[in-house]
This record gives sequence, C-alpha cells and structure tokens, in this order.
Amino acid sequence: MARILFDNVTKYYASVKAVDNLNLEIKDKEFLVLLGPSGCGKTTTLNMIAGLEELSKGDIYFDQQIVNFMPPHIRDVAMVFQSYALYPHKNVFENIGFGLKMRKYDTAEIDRRVRDAAERLHIEHLLDRLPSQLSGGQRQRVALGRAMVRQPSVFLMDEPLSNLDAALRISMRAEIKQLHHSMQTTFVYVTHDQAEALTLADRIVVMKDGVVQQIGSPDEIYERPENLFVGSFLGNPPINLLVGELVSDNAGVIFQKGRFKMEFQEEISTKLQPHIGKSVTLGIRPEDVNEQGAAVPGLSVSGTVNTVLPMGSEQYVSMTIEGTEAFFRLGKEHKHKGGDNISLDINRNRLHVFDQETERSLLWG
Amino acid sequence: MTLQSTKFSVPSEKWKYKSKRSERTRSAVIFIASIFLLIYVLAPVGWLLSSSFQSEAEIVSVPPHWLPHEPTMENFNAIFFQEFEEVTYETRRKVDPAAGGYIPSTAKDLLPSMWNSFIISVAVVILNLVVGVPAAYAMAKIRFWGRQASVYTILTTRVIPDIALVVPFFLVIKNLGLLDHVMSLIITYLAITVPFTVFILVSYFESLPDELDKAARVDGCSRLQTLIQVFLPLARPSLVAVMLFAFLTSWNEFLLALMFTQTIASQTLPIIVASFTSDFTISFSFINAAGVVAIIPPVILALFFERYIVSGLTAGAVKG
Repeated sequence: MARILFDNVTKYYASVKAVDNLNLEIKDKEFLVLLGPSGCGKTTTLNMIAGLEELSKGDIYFDQQIVNFMPPHIRDVAMVFQSYALYPHKNVFENIGFGLKMRKYDTAEIDRRVRDAAERLHIEHLLDRLPSQLSGGQRQRVALGRAMVRQPSVFLMDEPLSNLDAALRISMRAEIKQLHHSMQTTFVYVTHDQAEALTLADRIVVMKDGVVQQIGSPDEIYERPENLFVGSFLGNPPINLLVGELVSDNAGVIFQKGRFKMEFQEEISTKLQPHIGKSVTLGIRPEDVNEQGAAVPGLSVSGTVNTVLPMGSEQYVSMTIEGTEAFFRLGKEHKHKGGDNISLDINRNRLHVFDQETERSLLWG
Repeated sequence: MTLQSTKFSVPSEKWKYKSKRSERTRSAVIFIASIFLLIYVLAPVGWLLSSSFQSEAEIVSVPPHWLPHEPTMENFNAIFFQEFEEVTYETRRKVDPAAGGYIPSTAKDLLPSMWNSFIISVAVVILNLVVGVPAAYAMAKIRFWGRQASVYTILTTRVIPDIALVVPFFLVIKNLGLLDHVMSLIITYLAITVPFTVFILVSYFESLPDELDKAARVDGCSRLQTLIQVFLPLARPSLVAVMLFAFLTSWNEFLLALMFTQTIASQTLPIIVASFTSDFTISFSFINAAGVVAIIPPVILALFFERYIVSGLTAGAVKG
C-alpha cells in the first residue's frame, strides 16, 4: 500500500522556487507520469518523494504518515536514474543485490531474488560483469533490476529511457508497462518525452516552472488541455496556433484572423458567447483535418502547400494561414507536392480556444 | 568555392609520411634530456647511499669515489649495534675523526627517534582519514549553508607560513601540558595536513556523480554507509595520495618538532639527524648512513603504493 500525498509543498533552491505549492495525490498502484520541460521541477518532486531533497514548506504523506524528514533508506522506495548510477566497482550481481544486502537479507534470499530479477530482464548471463563492460541497454536493465528486487511500495523513475537509442526506447517502454502490471505497485515516472508519458501513464501531471499545469488521464491531457502550455507541449507535430479574435456572426460566435474565419459548433459557440470581442488563440491539432474537394469558408482551411514531409505511413504538409505556418497530417491517398492548392475540412469538434491574455482554455478547465 | 583549386590539385607527398630521421632525432633528444633529469634528481641520493658505506677518510677524497673503494659497515654498525660513551670536551680527542670511527654523542637516539617519527606519522595518517574523509564527503555531496565558504577557509589556512604559527601553537601546546610529548606534534601536524587532505578529497568526491550518492541512499545506505560502501572504494587512489602526503609531511617536519620537543621522549628523526652536526666533531659518513636509514620507510611506502600515486595526485585535479 502506498498512497502519496503532497500537501501545499514548496521547494526553494536559494531564492529560486523549484516547486510552487504542489497539491497532488498519487493513488496506490497508480502509474503517474510527471511531464514537463527541463527545469520545471519534476525531478525535484521525485527527489522529495525519495527523501533526497528536503521540503521548504508543506507536508508529504505516505498513506497516513508524514514523511517530511524521513531519510531515504527508511522509506520503502526504489529509484531508477537517468544515468543509471550503477556502482562502478561492483559487478552486476552485487549492484542488483546491494539494496537487499544493506537491508540485511540472508545470502540465499539475495541470490534467489537477484537471479529471479536477472532472468526477468534477460541479463542472467551478465551477472559477473562490471558496469563498464555493459552496453547502455544492459546497464538500463541492471538499474531496473536493482530497483525491482527490493519489491518496494513506490517505484521512482527519473527519465530512465532518455539515454537509450530510439528503437530500444520503444521496446523498454513496453517492458516498463509490463513491469508495472506485474509488480502491482505505485510508479512515479519523470520524463520530458510526451510519447513516453502518453503511452505509460494512468495519469499525467504536466508541470512548468514548478507549477502544476494540469492533472489528468493521457486522453484528458491531450484532448482537453486546460491552458495554452499543455496544449502546445503535447502533440507531434505540435498543435497549430492562430492568434485572432472572437467575433459575432450570423452563425453565432466565430474566430477571425484577417480573412481566415472559423465557425464553431453550436455547443461550443454558446460557451464562447460571453467572450465575444476577446483576443484568443485558436488551436488546431495537425491530425484533426480531412481532405476534401471544395473550400467552404468558415469550415475549412485552404491554401498552397509550402512543403511536404513524407513520414512513410503518412505525410505532413505545411501551409501558411494569414502569415502563420501550420502543419497538417494527411493520409497517403493523395500525393502532394509543394505549390499544390489544397483545402482541408476541419474537425470542429476538436478545436481548442485559449484566452490570449490568461492563456487559459475557454472551453475546458 | 570548390576545393579543386590548383593549390590542392597536385597532391603533395610532404605531409604524407613522417620522416624516419626526424622521429629518431626526436626520441634521441627526449632520451638524453631524461637521462640528465634523472642524474640531477638521483645523484644526491646516490651519493648519500654510496658515502654511507665509506669511511670518513674516503668520503673526503678528491676526486670523490662514487663506488666505495673500501666499503665499510662501520656507520651502520654504529647505528644498530654499538654502544658509545658520551663524548665530552676532555674525551673529544680520544679518536681522531679523520681516521674514521668517530660517532656523535646522540647516535644512540637515532632508532628511538625513528620510532617516535613512525608513531607520529602513522597517527597523523589515521586521524587525517578519520577527520578528512567525512569532512570532504559532506562538503562535496551535502548541501548546507556555508559549504563553499568552509572549503575556501580550510584552504586559506595553508597560505599562512608555519613559522607564523609557531608561537600560537607553542602557547596552546604549553597550556595543554604537552610540551615534549608526541601528542604535541600529532596535534600540530594535523592542523597542517588535514586542509590538504580535505581539499584533494573534496575535488575527487565532487567528480563522482550525485546520482551515485542518491542511488546508494535509496538502496538503503545511511550517509555514513554511502561513504564507506560506495565512495571510499572508488576513491582509493586519492586516499593513497593523501595518506602519503600526510605521512611524508609528518616524517620530514623539522621546525615545529624543534620547538616542541626537548628529549628523546618526543624528539623525531629530523631533529636527531640535525643534532649530529652540532657535536664537537662531525662525521659526514655517519650522518649519511643515518640519512639512508631515514629514507627507508618512505621509499617502502612509495614502492608499495606506486601504481596509485600518479593517478591519485591528478584525480580531481582537472575539475575543481
């Protein structure tokens, strides 16, 4: 059992606020991902769970117990680091078994658990080697093994995959998900990679400058970003943002930027009614378009293709909308090339509208 | 611009091979220079060794004998086996120093003083590690208020010349009632060597990644266990370097020993060797034999830790 609760937690480094008034409940057996750009406070948050950093203000609870000053070796947590942090002078067996040895398990039990973990990670043939004799992927597995054998109630991971090459990263993602499933314990995972966050998480916490931007399931975070930052941080290629104005029209509220107009569906239009006249940012995800023959003003975008980026299974095309370059993802039915005139029907259920001033979503949150 | 301009069109052979001759000249020059440097460094030691096996008469011969013509163990026998009467003003002419066999009155103190030096040096080394290792770990890996300042303060104390500290040290030692006691030297030598120990180890510990420290602590180590289980095994070369430094500093120190010691209860090797020159007559060959005995322990240490020495002195030196 391990439920972790942050109650108004703030962390300063000298005068810099690394984490600002964090309130967060991590549920038992949950896979929670802390996502954000570097310097957003996600690693500090993780270190505070581990007990490696002290809090400046607030409390952290493990279940019902306050653990603010409980040193790391008393907390029942295991951690995997970005640089793996294997002990260079110990071989793989000793590295994996070190945590058990420090907790005074008997030799037979250590041997059994280390071999068991090594087998699950397919590194049983490497047990006698030193870390310097291993490849990056093998070191990563040793680091995972070192955390696994302890069967901790909280499993912490600090960008564990970012030093691996792309192919290995994807297969390790699957293994980590599998690991969570089989271990039935709480996972807290830090990354700046949105794809990792979306594939692994039960819930994602998006952070920026020490402040939580949004907490939700991967779908909620992706489909209903509560502010401009969350909207633009997730998505590849990133969401297209057009700065314009909300104006009133026969069709209700519409978005206008120069000659470009976009109508909303009725439900959304009603929601936006109080904001008429406001300067807003319209967000269109690159995949929320369909190709069609004729341009319909207010319902589609049309223009000349600047460049085409073929991606194998699909293609990205870029076009300029009122001075802003936008990318759209299209299937491969039509082969496009630079200079083509195309018009794209926009899925108006999935538009995003952010207040230009507060950057908050006018639709959600 | 293309690279196909005329300048590049005719491949020149000039830089393709290194001429064998220039390479040979280079090696020869380096070799000869090394020989000179070795002679410069080793000649005094060679002479020390050679003259310790010579009689007083042979040692002053011109030209000097680099290899003793009549090797003698007389000087070493005097140190290890013979008992000598005290030489007084009246007995000073009993033996003619030029004929050899003249041994200073403090000769019998040589081995006891060596034992004192040994006790002091070993104690200083051990206490250096006991104090310096945890201090260096804390300064390198624990964030606390005044961390940077303490590193610099410790280092700054080494800027003050020892002679300036003699009087304050003397008063402290006197008030502690430790004059003419080996403890007086252990205490003062610690003040000299610990800053260096801390500085070398701080640079080394800082060069080890923070994540290693964190990993160990999450794995169940307390701070002290992290230090002992993870950091110390990795710091072995640096530890050897600081141990050697502390040992040699204590072994060789003269000024403070001269101030705080009065009798053979606490006098160290350098004091006794120096005293050989202040007798009624001086036997250079005997002094040289004493010198040979004095360098034996450091040489044994250096040979024993040889493979760690160079890496230890440079480790952490790049960073920090």
